[in-house]
Amino acid sequence: MERKKTKSRREFINSSMRFGMILALGGIGGLAFRRTTGDQWVWQIDPFKCSWCGRCATHCVLNPSAVKCVHAYELCGYCDLCGGYLIPGHSDRSTAAENQLCPTAAIDRKFIEEPYYEYKIDEDLCIGCAKCADGCSSFGNGSLHLQIMHHLCVNCNECTIARVCPSDAITRVKGSDPYLMKGDFTKSTGFED
Amino acid sequence: MGRKWPVILIVLLSAAIIIAVIVTEHTSTLPGRRPPNPFAYDVDEFRSVDQELIRWRETRQVQLDREDIRAMAYAGGKIYLAAGNELQVIGSDWSRILRRNLPGEPTCLAAAREGWIVAGMGNHLAILDSDGETIAVSEVLGAESNITSVAILDDDIYAADATGRRVLIFNRELELTGELRGDSGVSDVHGFIVPGAHFSLAVNPEDELWITNPGIHALQNYTASGRLRSYIQRSSFGIDGFSGCCNPVHFTFLPDGRFVTSEKGIIRIKVIIGTGEVESVVAPPELFRDGTRAPAVAAGDNGNILALDFDRNMIRIFEPI
Repeated sequence: MERKKTKSRREFINSSMRFGMILALGGIGGLAFRRTTGDQWVWQIDPFKCSWCGRCATHCVLNPSAVKCVHAYELCGYCDLCGGYLIPGHSDRSTAAENQLCPTAAIDRKFIEEPYYEYKIDEDLCIGCAKCADGCSSFGNGSLHLQIMHHLCVNCNECTIARVCPSDAITRVKGSDPYLMKGDFTKSTGFED
Repeated sequence: MGRKWPVILIVLLSAAIIIAVIVTEHTSTLPGRRPPNPFAYDVDEFRSVDQELIRWRETRQVQLDREDIRAMAYAGGKIYLAAGNELQVIGSDWSRILRRNLPGEPTCLAAAREGWIVAGMGNHLAILDSDGETIAVSEVLGAESNITSVAILDDDIYAADATGRRVLIFNRELELTGELRGDSGVSDVHGFIVPGAHFSLAVNPEDELWITNPGIHALQNYTASGRLRSYIQRSSFGIDGFSGCCNPVHFTFLPDGRFVTSEKGIIRIKVIIGTGEVESVVAPPELFRDGTRAPAVAAGDNGNILALDFDRNMIRIFEPI
């Protein structure tokens, strides 16, 4: 009768190491595959919770901040007297620096036709201070609002802005749909009060 | 000394921990310990009102039992309220005369002295009798229509459609008979500019139709044929005008024909005379919470002003001083 073959200690260690390495390689490959194809979670601002506190400009790990103002054009009234563009008590409704609310002159005002004006954000100049968003929401439709720009955001494990946000407006959203733009994502019936 | 050093060490360690906690607390940015916003949007100078201008005092507050009040109207000593799909009628002694569920949710109301009511229901209108029974319904004006204000003038009913930037005219059977677009065929008059869902109209004691043109901060008077007869236009962050995209949000008339306007942004209620000058301030911004809706306004037969405070779910009554 043939004696049952037993593994030597060396063989056992070798096969265990081979198995462990295959498992580790598989795990790394799986993680890499998930990172490239899977749905990552990223940080974003809920514009309906934002209270324009200014901390997005001062607390992001990036300087200038990865938070920028965006414009929901379908909500905008294209107003001549724009609360998001003009400083309260402006001397004149013009593009003169002293009349502009934005501290970095990041909003471009363009005449469309009487009495409509279009307002565009220069992302390179915007620091995400929310001053315009506050003015627009107070006196207008709230079409100017803040968003975390994902070509800039480094997606920190713990967002430093989220830590200090007083209105709990920084939330996690799916990487495949990373923006919460007003208009696309609205809690009203098309217009805001 | 040798036996005291552990005690000294503990005391020093405790002091170090206490100092560290105090310093951490002092430099913390957690709620309650935040430095002021260096980018604050400051409109405080426009919130303060010259006390000489405030010639009304709040004499009564009537708490409402619903939190979703959308509209208010006044006629013949009665207050008409819409909350969800419910119509409420309140008598002159503040007792509730009627509470009735409607087939739709009114967004605005107008009432005739005889007691019948017109309700704007978003994209259509309904006429109700004094018991809240529906007696006529208009055709649906399109899914995008948003009726924000209605008024009764003789046998016509005027409805402001904010989305369509037009005023629709109906007869008593709620058949559409006409439309105003505010352009009047004059080159420098460019129609109604309505950036938001704030487009209001009212009829004054002289039976004149007045319509807001909120994009240019104007109140405009139109003839029944749609001709612009006169207007008031004042743009200003100050008390002397209107600011933002949508002001005045609501307006009504006192029995002597003076305008009562209600604004958003810097929430305030003012009385304006025919030349557009501010005659007095009814309610300064300090009476309202920041960021809330502009109150709807109505004028009682006795000249008191009723303000529907959407934030506090109450009717606030103001009497002249």
